[in-house]
Amino acid sequence: MVLAKHFKCNMCPRRLNTAGGLAVHIQQVHKLEPENLPRIENAIPGRDGYEVEIFGMEGIPAPDVADYKRRKEIELGLAAGSISQPPAKRPKTENRPMSEEELKAALEAHKALMGAGSNEPALAPADSSSGGVYGAPPQAYAAAPTATPPGPPVAMPPGPPPFLPPGVPGMLPGQPPYPPPFPVPSFPPGPPPPGFPMPPFAPGMLPTGMPSGVPPPGIIRPPFPPAPTFVPQQQGSASPFPPPPPTNGSMTSVTPTGSSVPATPPPPTPSSQPPSTPRMPVLPVPALKQVLPSFKKETDLKFQDPNFSPDELRAYNPKYCIAKSTDKAQQGEESRGKKRARAEDFL
Amino acid sequence: MSSFFGASTSTTAANSTSTDKDLEVADPPPDSISSLSFSSQADYLAVGSWDNSVRVYEVGTSGQTQGKAMYQHNGPVLDVCWNKEGNKIFSGGADNQAKMFDVTTGAAMQVAQHDAPIKVVRWVESPNMGVLATGSWDKTIKYWDLRAQQPVASVQLPERCYSFDVQYPLLVVGTAERHIQVFNLNNPTTPYKTMPSPLKWQTRVVSCFTASQNSGFAVGSIEGRVAIQYVEDKDNGSNFSFKCHRKDTVPNSKDQGMVFAVNDISFHPVHGTFSTCGSDGSIHFWDKDARTRLKSFEISKDFPGPISCTGFNRNGNIFAYAISYDWSKGHSGMTPGHPNKIMLHACKDEEVKKRPRK
Repeated sequence: MVLAKHFKCNMCPRRLNTAGGLAVHIQQVHKLEPENLPRIENAIPGRDGYEVEIFGMEGIPAPDVADYKRRKEIELGLAAGSISQPPAKRPKTENRPMSEEELKAALEAHKALMGAGSNEPALAPADSSSGGVYGAPPQAYAAAPTATPPGPPVAMPPGPPPFLPPGVPGMLPGQPPYPPPFPVPSFPPGPPPPGFPMPPFAPGMLPTGMPSGVPPPGIIRPPFPPAPTFVPQQQGSASPFPPPPPTNGSMTSVTPTGSSVPATPPPPTPSSQPPSTPRMPVLPVPALKQVLPSFKKETDLKFQDPNFSPDELRAYNPKYCIAKSTDKAQQGEESRGKKRARAEDFL
Repeated sequence: MSSFFGASTSTTAANSTSTDKDLEVADPPPDSISSLSFSSQADYLAVGSWDNSVRVYEVGTSGQTQGKAMYQHNGPVLDVCWNKEGNKIFSGGADNQAKMFDVTTGAAMQVAQHDAPIKVVRWVESPNMGVLATGSWDKTIKYWDLRAQQPVASVQLPERCYSFDVQYPLLVVGTAERHIQVFNLNNPTTPYKTMPSPLKWQTRVVSCFTASQNSGFAVGSIEGRVAIQYVEDKDNGSNFSFKCHRKDTVPNSKDQGMVFAVNDISFHPVHGTFSTCGSDGSIHFWDKDARTRLKSFEISKDFPGPISCTGFNRNGNIFAYAISYDWSKGHSGMTPGHPNKIMLHACKDEEVKKRPRK
């Protein structure tokens, strides 16, 4: 470490590191008595003595340090104490699934805080030290854990649909003309996207995709892709789809009761009536429960379940849940039975 | 906060918000549309719905549609796909089954069975044979040779299968708890790579690049964000993610505080650009190489409702999208009169063609 030598002897060109060093130099080299040392030149008034020994940044008197920081804060327009007391570091959060015991403890603590259904309010385990809230009346925090403000719902105008319900006979004549015709797809399908290494063809295989649009030799492609011929429609009706259920123009089929399964012949299950209790999917491994990570800024995340996809939640909704309670067991038996039969076949 | 793609500047290609030129498919399903898929041979569109049905439409040269066929599952249909020849349709549903529909005979038969709902079905055309791959919430992917009763292979996944996509020989799976597994279909039973999702929130959709020099995939999450991820480590420098499908909590406040799920990602079969759609009712076309947005559709201005799924036809001149409820607000979001529509958009070149890199 090289330090500047600020203390110049006024009797020779020598410079020294500290006030004390200068004092010793003057006493020993220039043979002056300690009592009549000259004042230090060019010093701030009141600091021209030899009492304070500062080497580098060490030994600065605490009051002077505090005074300096205070002046800097004022100078930089910072809040008082922001330099002298730097903000505490964010507490480290452990990013790992909680163990069963921890979960239990957390649940107990939460219950105690909520004061719900328990006559012993101080149920919170002492070791689940809730930091500053320890000993505080639980009511003070009763609302806190659930205080996530509901996001503003996206406006979804209720009331009659702005269009005719689908499939109502007679809606077709009102269709608008089609201004932009699609390009006529009358050429053979294009080559598969390049870029992927073409798999080697098994010998004798019809090449399933040539890198260029050239038809494979010896095979003449039909001018139009081999459009599958669909089954001739019965009854000569315009649509192969069965007519929608009797509807009076309102989409009653999507009411929350879900009592009517729309449009289609009911599934061949003994009861299409969904069970009344709403089902929730169950996490296969509760210990692996996911928690939403926090956001850096305020965010209204529209779908919030970290553990299940919207589709899973939907599939478990009574409206869609196929009657598993009644015939899941049977189905399971049946499929297992089938599998056995198949296994026997193979044997 | 603008998105990574520079939402402010690069949307020169007609930010037309109206869907007036897009054509509505006649006779849509009466309940939400979970999936749609175009045939690889002709302009036929298969549509799976939460009303337990699969419907097949023929799209005419001028965009007019006609119902052609329909068959049933015992539970909601979660995904549909076609085989390579375009004469069979496969569908998987909440009844734990996958079915095969022969369009020439009109017969539907069960071809796969899982222990939980089948979320994804994809046809895998390998050099030797075609197989059906089914991914389920029972944490497996199974491969089915349709001539046998039992799967040819079954792969255990770390979690429930939420999405997978195939671009032979690449298969990428996104599961619950944000696992991503990459398979090389030459060895379909052992993962080529296992990684956590590059995104911090639940995986909603995984989709493989088409027409790309280097193989990779896009991941969409419930937190309005898409990650572009390359398979090989040497391409890691090209990985990135960007925000999308967000709205201001207060109009024009630019805070983008409302964050919606990305429901589907579809790659253009020819140009390799891709679409994203979300619960916010918008669709965007993107170019991952130029990192620009090519087009935005604000469908919700005409029809308020999420976009549940999307798809390009075989040569990429038709883009189909479904406006229907995606359960993003749970049961209470299922309001009567919610739109249920399938729309067809005629793609212009400037919307889907790559831009020269800046």
